[in-house]
Amino acid sequence: MSDQPSHSDSSLVVLWRLFGLMRNQRGWMALGLAMAMLSTLSGIGLMAISGHFITSMALVGAGGVAINYYTPAALIRLFAILRTGGRYAERLLTHEATLRMLARLRVWLFGRLVPLAPAALGELRSAELFSRLRADVDALEHAYLGVLIPLLVALLTMLVVVAATLVYLPVLSLPLLLFFLLGGALLPGWMLRHGRAPGAIVVACNETMRALAADGLRGRAELALYGAEEAHADKLAAVAARLRQAQCQLDRLQALGSGSVMLAAQLAALCTLLWGLAAQGGGLLAGPDLVMLVLLVPAAFEAIAPLPEAWAQLGTTLVSARRVFNLADTPIPVPEPGQPSPRIDRYDLRLRGVRLRYGGQSPWVLDGVDLDIAQGRRVALVGASGAGKSSLVNVLSRLYPCEGSITLGGTSFDAWRGDDLRAQIAVVEQRPYLFDASLRDNLRLAHPEASEAQLQKAIEQAQLSDYVASLPQGLRTWVGEDGIRVSGGEARRIAIARALLADPPILVLDEPTEGLDAATVTQLYAALDAAMKGRSVLLITHRLGGLANLVDDVATMQQGHIVECVPIADYLDRLTLRESYPTRG
Amino acid sequence: MTASTSSWLREQARPAHRLLAFGVTAGVAQAILLCVGAWLVAHMLAQAVLTGRRLGELWPGMVALLVIALARFVLGLWQRRMTFEAGAQVGDNVRNALEQWMRQLGPRWAVQQSSGDIVTRSVDGVQALVPYYAGYLPQVALTALIPAVILLAVVAADPWSALILLFTAPLIPLFMVLVGGTAERASQRRWSRLRRMGARFMDALSGLTTLRLCRATGREEALLAASGEAYRRETMAVLRIAFLSALVLEFFATVSIAVLAVLIGFRLMGGTLGFQQGLFVLLLAPELFLPLRALGTQRHRRMEAAAAAEDLITLLATPVAAVPSQPAGAHSNTFAARQIVLTFEQVSFGYEPERVVLQDLDLTVEAGTVLTLVGSTGNGKSTLLNLLMGFVSPQCGRILANGQDLAVLDMNSWRQHIGWVSQRAHVFHGSLRDNLLMAAPTADDTRLEHALRASALEPVVARLPQGLDTLLGEHGQGLSGGERQRLALARAWLRDAPLLLLDEPTQHLDTATAAKVDVAIEALAVGRTVIRVAHRLHALADGARVAVLADGRIVEAGRVADLRASRGAFAHLLAADRAA
Repeated sequence: MSDQPSHSDSSLVVLWRLFGLMRNQRGWMALGLAMAMLSTLSGIGLMAISGHFITSMALVGAGGVAINYYTPAALIRLFAILRTGGRYAERLLTHEATLRMLARLRVWLFGRLVPLAPAALGELRSAELFSRLRADVDALEHAYLGVLIPLLVALLTMLVVVAATLVYLPVLSLPLLLFFLLGGALLPGWMLRHGRAPGAIVVACNETMRALAADGLRGRAELALYGAEEAHADKLAAVAARLRQAQCQLDRLQALGSGSVMLAAQLAALCTLLWGLAAQGGGLLAGPDLVMLVLLVPAAFEAIAPLPEAWAQLGTTLVSARRVFNLADTPIPVPEPGQPSPRIDRYDLRLRGVRLRYGGQSPWVLDGVDLDIAQGRRVALVGASGAGKSSLVNVLSRLYPCEGSITLGGTSFDAWRGDDLRAQIAVVEQRPYLFDASLRDNLRLAHPEASEAQLQKAIEQAQLSDYVASLPQGLRTWVGEDGIRVSGGEARRIAIARALLADPPILVLDEPTEGLDAATVTQLYAALDAAMKGRSVLLITHRLGGLANLVDDVATMQQGHIVECVPIADYLDRLTLRESYPTRG
Repeated sequence: MTASTSSWLREQARPAHRLLAFGVTAGVAQAILLCVGAWLVAHMLAQAVLTGRRLGELWPGMVALLVIALARFVLGLWQRRMTFEAGAQVGDNVRNALEQWMRQLGPRWAVQQSSGDIVTRSVDGVQALVPYYAGYLPQVALTALIPAVILLAVVAADPWSALILLFTAPLIPLFMVLVGGTAERASQRRWSRLRRMGARFMDALSGLTTLRLCRATGREEALLAASGEAYRRETMAVLRIAFLSALVLEFFATVSIAVLAVLIGFRLMGGTLGFQQGLFVLLLAPELFLPLRALGTQRHRRMEAAAAAEDLITLLATPVAAVPSQPAGAHSNTFAARQIVLTFEQVSFGYEPERVVLQDLDLTVEAGTVLTLVGSTGNGKSTLLNLLMGFVSPQCGRILANGQDLAVLDMNSWRQHIGWVSQRAHVFHGSLRDNLLMAAPTADDTRLEHALRASALEPVVARLPQGLDTLLGEHGQGLSGGERQRLALARAWLRDAPLLLLDEPTQHLDTATAAKVDVAIEALAVGRTVIRVAHRLHALADGARVAVLADGRIVEAGRVADLRASRGAFAHLLAADRAA
């Protein structure tokens, strides 16, 4: 997801691929387009035939020969019905097609992103890129309704109208074509080119405004204390002024665009009148046909009017499509093996020379890690922040590609399918994500068939009972973005309950006590002790208190490798020895 | 949209009334020109078809038509200009009002808000208001006025046709109200559902790692497909009704043209109507319905503005009084001192009436001394600092600085005497230099270098690609928790204030960094009055002065060595701390 898509694919290739994704909806799309054409042409036909009809009737009234007035009158009614019904059908069909695309596109994108997370989606963590992805998907969904339909309808209408003038007044065809192109393509193109600079300013200003608004909220205390509130308000006002100026430019361009289409329509009508009157005077064009053309031409511009917006939308769609395809085409960081995962009966974990870095050039965060966790063994992993503790978790969850060898029960990690491996090794993340769903659904994420009894047991073991009891709606409480606010400590305990429900032979806990007060930590450790029975455990922590009865070994990590792994008793002994000679005080 | 929302929206339009009136006038002028143009076209065609006039005799009409076309173009641009200005002006007003309001609500309120939510409301919400004033509101007026102009012109030409139009035209709004009521509710439901589904998709993407760890991606994919399908079916059911209102409009617009054309045709044949009048009416008939159709395409703007307005109204309705605070500039008594003695006299405070945090608290801190506040979480340690900074005010009792009551001081001058190291210093959008200078706008480079050294920030600056000028904050480089705390420390150093407030400055740091920061703090504290909130107790020096806060008051105070021996509240806390 870079600003400049590396894809050099031409616009047509990108569009082709986009509409290729919507292959299954081709029938709906074609029907919608047909209806759009039908109703547009009926509207134009209604005006044209009405003009022809009343002129003929006026000539009859003025003493001309009698005519068959049933056919045109019937045609008028037919066009009126086709216009009305066609519009309704068009809307239903195009929306049906769009909604079908929407469902398909999202499922497709989700399927493509799953194997990339999180190793190849690092940048998506930024809220800004994420909201851009959201806008991109929105733009793609409107490609059919906002781009394809108006462009094709305008093109076909233009062809039909030009064909009609060729029949009645050939000399008019060329100027008419010119006005169509001017109002429908050249002017919008000019507008788009000139709108690019102010458009970029608008985007940049909006981002700055968001950043400033966040500053005004998160940094309000600093602003108040340092007397900088006035300066902050001034900064905000300055950005708002710049934004307003750019928006004004954009608005003027848009006004020019839509005004120009109208002007082109009137000029085209004027030309029709000019050449038509000349032809009629020369006896080349009948009176009713003249009036018909004068009404037909401006009505046809109805199909041109949506074009400026459609072209702009096309630009957005192409940029969005390139970005989304780029993202979807990212190489999968941890490929899945072709054959089924091995079967094992022992769960010894063995790491040898494991190395990991988060980018081709970045430093190694894991630099030759050797570690053994025999089945049923509990190991605490300690070390300064930045030593690589969490990276070890990333490797063990098989979400990041690494060098070196990791074996589980003697079988290589590479032979395991990710999901099968994660059924053996459950990870409690440092910052678990809570979904916009009920607490119950969040808990059952890893084990959707869990019974009520299993659920209750996991809640108890994770020290969540009091918390759940404190919620008025209990397990039905909505959490996540739209739900109640959950503290970091609570979220981590929910994640622990989640992992316990999955009932894995190996449990990896990443800083489970961070953000909990001393009393809760003590309770949690007591409960974990029971929950860990019979499992291998890797517990990452920076607090040593309470560990004595919980783990067997302590491994110390420093600058990307394990410097030692000793029994907990030895480790604590050494620590007490050091503490009795305080270094400061 | 509720009545209060629409009246709020209307209220905001007041300052832009003139601009809106100009815009609407320009729109009406265009409609009048349209009628004149149609009359000219009808006139020329009638002359040519019925009386055989040639182009040579009709050219003045052509010139007039060209002038009219250009005039309509210019008026159209002017109209957009006026209404855009109106929208922009309302946007600016609301934005300023919001900023003022947030200042009134103060830091205590700000800290409790979810930042994404407020940012969306105050930036995107205000943006959503603009098209309502620039597009929808003028269009409402024009939807009433333009048809009136056209009907008048038709009445003058042919009263019978006017009657037909008069019969169908008012029926449209009527039917649209009938169908539209349901349709609008339905389409609102559709919008919110679409948003919910989009949110669900984004939710799944945000939690993708968790989904993978929980082996739930396959299930989620199936759910996404099913919810998309269900959404399509539900939405189409809604749309079949929602599009009826458009169908009604289309039906009347089309049918009235068809009926007019047929009737005009037969009256022309019977000779009871002039051709010019008939053609004129037919040319104008479609124009009668255009404003209504344009209004339909603007309806979503109203919906978006209404949704934004509701959010903004709730935000602006947050009572300032609910959070007792003291905005800057409320009092004019300036404060100036080089040494500060602090005295709390019977201070009581609670964020909510039923939940008291501090109760009759008495405390004195001598000038130039360091006091460490301890106590379990949620016992009001941070509140005490907030009171000192004037972010909240005591409900009872007084806080005195050198004998002067904080409640009557000019907050700006008082706050200049405070240096503050918060738990999580905010990194502002801007360069590291900007972030430092906000504490001391006039500091020169030498002072900045000094501050960097004193707060152990030098290695951080060395790491940043553009040093002091590296862009930080939301869209720039991030700083780790420890680095932020050192940034706050550097700000306090630059502030060079007689009172230093430290809120657990080393809590989230690893031992090595914490030691560095501690050294920097000790150097900074010399000669100042310092209040330090501490969580970890075992590192406190024996000679440090400590006050234990529990149940809203100071339950124990003295030197660490004495308190440790006394087996009171402090000793208790120390034991708990060691166990964790």
